[in-house]
Amino acid sequence: MEKSNLDDSMKRIQKDRDEMAFSEIFDFFAPKVNAYFIQNGIRFESSEELTQEVLSTVWVKSNLYDSNKSALSTWIFTIARNKKIDFYRKNSKINFKEEDVREFLYQDREIDLIEENEAKKQMERINNELDEQQKIMIKMNFFENKSHKKIADELEIPLGTVKSRLRHILTKMQEFLR
Amino acid sequence: MNGTVVKNQLIFDFASGVLGPAKSLFASTYLQLNSNASKISSTFENMLGENLMYNENIHPKNLKYTDCISSENTKPTPNANDPVTSFFGKLDNLNWKQVYKGFKEYTAKIDDKDELKLIKMDPGVSVPLHSHGGKEFILVLEGSFCDEYGEYSKGDIQINDQKIKHTPIASRHTGCVCLSITEKDVIFFGKYGSFLNLFTFIKSFFKPK
Repeated sequence: MEKSNLDDSMKRIQKDRDEMAFSEIFDFFAPKVNAYFIQNGIRFESSEELTQEVLSTVWVKSNLYDSNKSALSTWIFTIARNKKIDFYRKNSKINFKEEDVREFLYQDREIDLIEENEAKKQMERINNELDEQQKIMIKMNFFENKSHKKIADELEIPLGTVKSRLRHILTKMQEFLR
Repeated sequence: MNGTVVKNQLIFDFASGVLGPAKSLFASTYLQLNSNASKISSTFENMLGENLMYNENIHPKNLKYTDCISSENTKPTPNANDPVTSFFGKLDNLNWKQVYKGFKEYTAKIDDKDELKLIKMDPGVSVPLHSHGGKEFILVLEGSFCDEYGEYSKGDIQINDQKIKHTPIASRHTGCVCLSITEKDVIFFGKYGSFLNLFTFIKSFFKPK
């Protein structure tokens, strides 16, 4: 499915509570969100429940999405990330306390977002200047939250190399983000 | 280590959702006070969002889109406009502990391996030369301070590690209020150093478990 079609479906949900439009969003994102949870070490049954929560939030809170502020995939990613934090919080071996601050810190945070065009330009630059392995390492480290050790094992490179390359990527990204 | 890299790491870890509660609160406040950090964070969230866009598909087995439409139970969203006030309440009402004249701190009751503290320094007050056992992050909430490395005002972050020895001095006009994360206790040098080291050593026995 094309990005613009998804944006269009989202508009129809916001405007008309269009269930067919929602089914399109669901078909595209549910398997990806489900995969995200599994990549983050959450087992299948739970991943499916969390996926349901994420997509329900998309439906119920669709009016909170503003296409001028972020891409649809970014908005859905932040919802999924917040569900993940919530899940870890409830399932951690440390006694979970009601007052865990993360619950309010990650919810629908209104931050000083960048202009859409500026964001697009930055993304293009980042995509152009990072090579494939660097992109994979970013995905493994920050999207799948794999440890440096695990990344080293999977890519079959030494642990020290993983650390220094990630540090290099972070420095490089700082240049892009100016 | 390059301070910029550590700052970015903090922002990216926040965006990825892997920070503990103490650092989450710290990072969230940082993003709120510092528009540059906030922009970096949103760019990074865009990157992660794009990863989601092109992520592999693992289809849920028993989930249909209609299952997501029926459940309209939403919790009201807590107001997250100011993380520090939401968490600590009004700073004036806190039970501040005086460490020495002109220097007060308040340690957050938070279940985490990192220690989260508020620090308040009266105008012109300085901290004796010290280094750090582990990493320390300082974020200026109000006023400003300076040390051998530069001046830090509202929204600025300073990251200190074992290699750094410094003598921070609060602004003569405004003093300063900072939020700090300590991964391990600091080590003091100089005139009052041994006394303060003893103090932090003794204090470590009385930490709430």
